[in-house]
Amino acid sequence: MADADDRYNWQPLIDDLTGRRGTALAMGGAERVQRQRDLGKLPVRERLELFVDPGTFVEYGQLADSMDPALAAKGPMAADGCITGIGDVDGRRVAIAAYDFTVMAGSMGAVNEAKVTRLRELVLRQRIPLVWLLDSAGARVGSGTGSTFAGAGALFREQVVLSGVVPQVGAMLGHCAAGTAYIPALTDFVPMVSGVASMALAGRHLVKAATGEDVTEEEMGGAEVHTRISGVADLAVGDDAECLTAVRRFLSFLPSNNTEPAPLRPTDDPIDRRATELYDIVPTAPRRAYDVKKVITAIVDDGDFFEIKPDWARNLVVGFAHFGGESVGIVANQPKVLGGALDVNAADKAARFISLCDAYGIPLVYLHDVPGFVVGTVVEKQGIIRHGAKMLFATSDATVPKISVVLRKSYGAGYFVMNGMGYECDYLVAWPTAEIAVMGPDGVVNIAFRKELEAVPEGPERDARRIELAEMIRANIDPYVAAGHAQVDDIIDPADTRAAVIAGLRANRSKQVSRPWRKHGVLPV
Amino acid sequence: MAEVRAEITANVWQVRVEVGQTVDEGDELVILESMKMEIPVEAPCSGTVSAIHVAPDSQVTEGDLVATITPAGA
Repeated sequence: MADADDRYNWQPLIDDLTGRRGTALAMGGAERVQRQRDLGKLPVRERLELFVDPGTFVEYGQLADSMDPALAAKGPMAADGCITGIGDVDGRRVAIAAYDFTVMAGSMGAVNEAKVTRLRELVLRQRIPLVWLLDSAGARVGSGTGSTFAGAGALFREQVVLSGVVPQVGAMLGHCAAGTAYIPALTDFVPMVSGVASMALAGRHLVKAATGEDVTEEEMGGAEVHTRISGVADLAVGDDAECLTAVRRFLSFLPSNNTEPAPLRPTDDPIDRRATELYDIVPTAPRRAYDVKKVITAIVDDGDFFEIKPDWARNLVVGFAHFGGESVGIVANQPKVLGGALDVNAADKAARFISLCDAYGIPLVYLHDVPGFVVGTVVEKQGIIRHGAKMLFATSDATVPKISVVLRKSYGAGYFVMNGMGYECDYLVAWPTAEIAVMGPDGVVNIAFRKELEAVPEGPERDARRIELAEMIRANIDPYVAAGHAQVDDIIDPADTRAAVIAGLRANRSKQVSRPWRKHGVLPV
Repeated sequence: MAEVRAEITANVWQVRVEVGQTVDEGDELVILESMKMEIPVEAPCSGTVSAIHVAPDSQVTEGDLVATITPAGA
């Protein structure tokens, strides 16, 4: 009988496995986990609990270790500092790579890189979104660091292969440098926890050594910098939980991949609801500013608008909403900031958002109120022509249904980049206040009538003639002239804007565009 | 001290506040005129107007100082 017992002796093996699992689940140990909490951050496994639907997470490589002889003395490296797996988020499968700052500062080592590479392969086979929870010092730098770097870097190329195939999110939950700062740069949505997260090509110690500059991570690459000044990140959030909620919300507007439709969100909001509050929101006086976000919330389903990059390039508003249950991307000029004029950052912001929506088959709705691109030496030195071309490119390239509503002004190239009739616009409606023209009346007078004006003696006589000419030209800037030439599809009562947008989307839902064969267009970046 | 700067090259159309006046965040300090639009310059925080650096009909370049606010409680 003793022989038989030896042959069925499972318990020590199960105990050993359970012990190893316990070590992995304990992350970097009680002390480091407490330090993580003290920094205002949740331990990585609690982040996953918050993010993933209960009981759905399938972890890959939980028992991974660094396998680095140089680190053997430090004991097991739980999951090698990065948890990978697939779980449901609001009932839809999502792949997640979550770096664990309590293990070697969440640094990217050979084993966790292999785990993430496997995850990217699964993502490509399953065609499901990839979410990165980033809290990582970047590459694992140690005594063995040297020219084996020559073989590294495929992760970014693979991310680029995934771009436009499956949505990617880079959630910034801690200080990230170099590698883990480029990962989010190649994703489609980057929320950042204020006062906690940072992203920079180099951390402060490396910066000090390289240039002598003495700065904090927060000053260099905190949420304040990246959501207000650089435009690298999309949204500043208060804490880990808020960040994960933002990721969930972002994903809710997108399909799981570029061959599936975005999820519908049923609503009780009537598709023909009249928005009479618009009469009080938008002044008929063309020079007066107003907040276009109030227009957006007045017309979309349930007043629910998810703005992307709300604190950067505020002269242009972009974000997701639903119209009649359908997920839609909105691009709107913001008269409250810079009069709604487009500058380099606004054009950049628009181009990227339009490209995102087009990649995932999400229709675009443009709300025009734009005096044009900002002109003058400051913006020319910033390369506004090159940046403006990006927006022209993105709008031209987009083959999703594209609807335009001209609220008031839409001048010059501003009208083109905002999806004018010449841009495969599928339904273009204008309010009675619409002014569509190459430029405003004063501009025309100064160019076309300069010689005539100079012939008139300077003073009241010339001023009177100038006003007379401007009025004459203004008479031609009339939406009913455009409608008369059938260059706009309809003039609408502003209160009926919601109904018009939904009608336009439904009339054009089978849109197909065939382009001549090419490898790809050349981005004017 | 909160420095309020012009976000665009513009003419100064109206100055809506006086030195010493208390303002709330978002109050209009100055209205610029550029690109044929009225462009309000708003208080970035609540406080007291400690200086106004522009006058009506003057010209500002992007980045020029428009007003200085002493934040409330500072």
